[in-house]
Amino acid sequence: MAGEGEQMVKLVSSDQVEIPVERKVAERSMLIKNMIEDLGAPGEEPIPIMNVSEPVLRKVLEWCTHHKNDPAPTQDDDADSRKKTTDIEDWDQKFMQVDQEMLFEIILAANYMDIKALLDVGCKTVANMIKGKSPEEIRKTFNIQNDFTPEEEDQIRRENEWAEDR
Amino acid sequence: MSKTSSAARPPPPMPTSKDDIVNTWNYLEWGVDRLMYSLKDGVDLKTYMSLYTSIHNFCTAQKAVTQHTSLSSNHRGAHLLGEELYHRLNDYLKRHLAGVHSEMVKHSDEALLTFYIKEWKRYTTAGTYNNHLFKYLNRHWVKREMDEGKKDIYDIYTLHLVRWKDDMFGTTQNAVMGAVLRLVEKLRNGETIEHSKVKDVVASFVSLGIDEADSTKPTLDVYRLCFEKPYLEATSKYYEAESAQFLAENSVVDYMKKAEKRLDEEKERVSLFLLQEIMQPLMKTCEQALIAKHAGVMRDEFQVLLDNDREEDMARMYKLLARIPEGLDPLRSRFEAHVRRAGHLAVEKVADQGDNLDPKAYVDALLEVHAQYAALVKNAFTGESEFVRSLDNACREYVNRNKVTQKNSTRSPELLAKHADNVLKRSTKATEEDDMEQMLNQVMTVFKYIEDKDVFQKFYSKTLAKRLVNGTSASPDAETSMISKLKDASGFEYTNKLQRMFQDMQTSKDLNQAYDEWRNEHIDAEDRKNDIDAYYQVLGTGFWPLQPPGTTFVPPNEIVKTYERFQTFYSNKHAGRKLTWLWHLCKGEIRANYVKMGKVPYTFQVSTYQMAILLMFNDSDTVSYDDIANVTMLQKETLDPSLGIMLKAKVLTAKPDGAPAQSGTSYTLNHDFKNKKVKVNLNVAIKAEQKQEAEDTHKTIEEDRKMLMQSAIVRIMKSRKQIKHAQLVSETIAQIRSRFSPKVPDIKKCIDILLEKEYLERLEGDELGYLA
Repeated sequence: MAGEGEQMVKLVSSDQVEIPVERKVAERSMLIKNMIEDLGAPGEEPIPIMNVSEPVLRKVLEWCTHHKNDPAPTQDDDADSRKKTTDIEDWDQKFMQVDQEMLFEIILAANYMDIKALLDVGCKTVANMIKGKSPEEIRKTFNIQNDFTPEEEDQIRRENEWAEDR
Repeated sequence: MSKTSSAARPPPPMPTSKDDIVNTWNYLEWGVDRLMYSLKDGVDLKTYMSLYTSIHNFCTAQKAVTQHTSLSSNHRGAHLLGEELYHRLNDYLKRHLAGVHSEMVKHSDEALLTFYIKEWKRYTTAGTYNNHLFKYLNRHWVKREMDEGKKDIYDIYTLHLVRWKDDMFGTTQNAVMGAVLRLVEKLRNGETIEHSKVKDVVASFVSLGIDEADSTKPTLDVYRLCFEKPYLEATSKYYEAESAQFLAENSVVDYMKKAEKRLDEEKERVSLFLLQEIMQPLMKTCEQALIAKHAGVMRDEFQVLLDNDREEDMARMYKLLARIPEGLDPLRSRFEAHVRRAGHLAVEKVADQGDNLDPKAYVDALLEVHAQYAALVKNAFTGESEFVRSLDNACREYVNRNKVTQKNSTRSPELLAKHADNVLKRSTKATEEDDMEQMLNQVMTVFKYIEDKDVFQKFYSKTLAKRLVNGTSASPDAETSMISKLKDASGFEYTNKLQRMFQDMQTSKDLNQAYDEWRNEHIDAEDRKNDIDAYYQVLGTGFWPLQPPGTTFVPPNEIVKTYERFQTFYSNKHAGRKLTWLWHLCKGEIRANYVKMGKVPYTFQVSTYQMAILLMFNDSDTVSYDDIANVTMLQKETLDPSLGIMLKAKVLTAKPDGAPAQSGTSYTLNHDFKNKKVKVNLNVAIKAEQKQEAEDTHKTIEEDRKMLMQSAIVRIMKSRKQIKHAQLVSETIAQIRSRFSPKVPDIKKCIDILLEKEYLERLEGDELGYLA
């Protein structure tokens, strides 16, 4: 008999593609874990993941599969790991080598599906992209239009002088 | 809002616009309603996910608006959405509970409980679901609010509890608790109840313990105040009433059984449907009502139980009273007095034998009472140390102060030592080793309680000396065992002399061997033949409680050469040592060739004195009293009894017939002597002598005590140099107590003696000084 974790569940992406996956993998998402807790094992019934498209969902599940045996996050995990700056383990770094659009989709999906560790990795990746760059370079990286007037920009710069790297 | 219609209504469309609060809430309210009222119909995955997603979508919408406010807002970082949803849910819960509350007041008692529990379960289950569905709100907006220190914002599940506590609990908990208590009363009255009802209420009250300062930390405050307190009060009231009534109609013994059962039941109930935390206060409450309130009645019954040996009931009483503070103290003092009485009674029964009191009967009487109550302490009072102490106190009292010791306070140790002597002496029936050990242990049991341990020591060493010198000890192993027991109980010093006596016996054995070898070497064979076979014991003067002979004596010529030869040998070996012959302890055997039993001549076992007398008959069949007295030089007090025994055994006959031992009487050897045995023992201790000895021993005890007290005083003074009189007395008592209980006037007398001898001097202010 298969254990609970080895049961399969069916996830359905926003574009109606069914993706079977180990329950244990799916439960990296707190959303799915809580739902199963409330409603019981879904069996054949597909679980609609309404805000995530197929390619993104597959990408997220790839991450979940790799991390399926990680210890469950604890309450006070928060304080510690988040402060550990921008360290990312090798596999995750490679995993995050995707185009910007996919990166942001992964972050949004992780936020929606409540996968804290993945959300952290995503945000750290973005942070690393910003680190050490001038505002102009950042704008270029993320394709942001500068809508500040020169006066406004000057004011902001002065206000945030304390944060400058010197 | 009517719940039946809301549960049945078809789902509104899932909101399409993300920031549309009206449509979003409209949809959510439908969902929450479903969870609240028709969860049993099931919620499909799609609905669940749709609800979650619509909350997520609402909270992540309105980007334009937030950006606009972010710079001026006092929030740190991004503005988070969801406040609207939180408040709408809060309002929804209020409305829901108002409905539940108006329903609830229609119920009472068990129906009320059933209703409360049903609604509570429905509500908290929905709360768990909502907590998950609103997880996104929890994770962001609620978290931010709480991080910023808002005390009135809770995570969604806690919000449910807070609402229940504020809108339901406050106004209904009294009724709920009343119903619970009536239910428990039914249970106590022997009815069967659904335990789960109480258990669920407890769980509900516990859940509502929300710390005002930090809502993430649970507390037991609500439970303590609203459940535990009334529960304990009701318990106390119930058992006070019950126990008073039961005692009025039943015996104390039956009541104790009842109380014991009640306590067990209450204890068991805790694990069945209460919180473990209640155990201690609940037991205390029960103990107060069931035991402490009736402790007086129970204690009064204790004497009856003691008198009737109701061990089981006493054990029950002990267990009950042990549960309340100071519950056992009065029992202990009663027990002590009872044992003391029993001891006195037992002694009185044997005391009428007067001076001829059989030591065994006396010791057995002491032991019997001890054994009985030691068993009671062990079985009924779990061997509790305070009861052991009470037993010891009582035993010490009746062992040292009873009818037998009334006239002579040292009778107990004396009789005990005599008993020990009888046990250790070789007797006709062989004693098994185990029995011997047991009897010695019994002696030690009494010994432990003896206060005048020095008296015991005196008598014991006397009897030991006799056993050793006369070779009447039953077993050397038993002797050493006894000595080591005494040593364990009273220390090395106490048994030092006893041990030395033992050593002397061994040394003598070696000495006799060495003497034999010496004789073979130094004396030629012809000469050796004239020697009389002899065995010598050399006993250290300081260690043996023996006195030199009380009479003058000229040993018979026949043995003079033999013992002088030994004396030569000994002084060669140990120059400077003086041997004193203890003739009164010596003995010998004489073969009576003049009178035979069949072909075998009789052998007389005699004392040296008797030997000297009898040997005179080698020269003449008739010898006069004066001749005997002149030749042996024995004094009348010794001579007369020695003769007396031989007359009584008809070895000699007096002339004139039956004449008293005095000048003019003459004695003739009886050639017609007849006896059943070939060996005839004429060396019998004389009654008067024994009594004299006991008196002497007592006298030496007084002397020794004086010495002991004086040396203690000197020791104390030597270290203190200067001390108050009263303190000196009390310290002296402390030092000596292990040997005997000194009397204050005796100590004072000793101090006076030392003052006179100028070891001490009087100083100012009742002080004494030490003069080196």
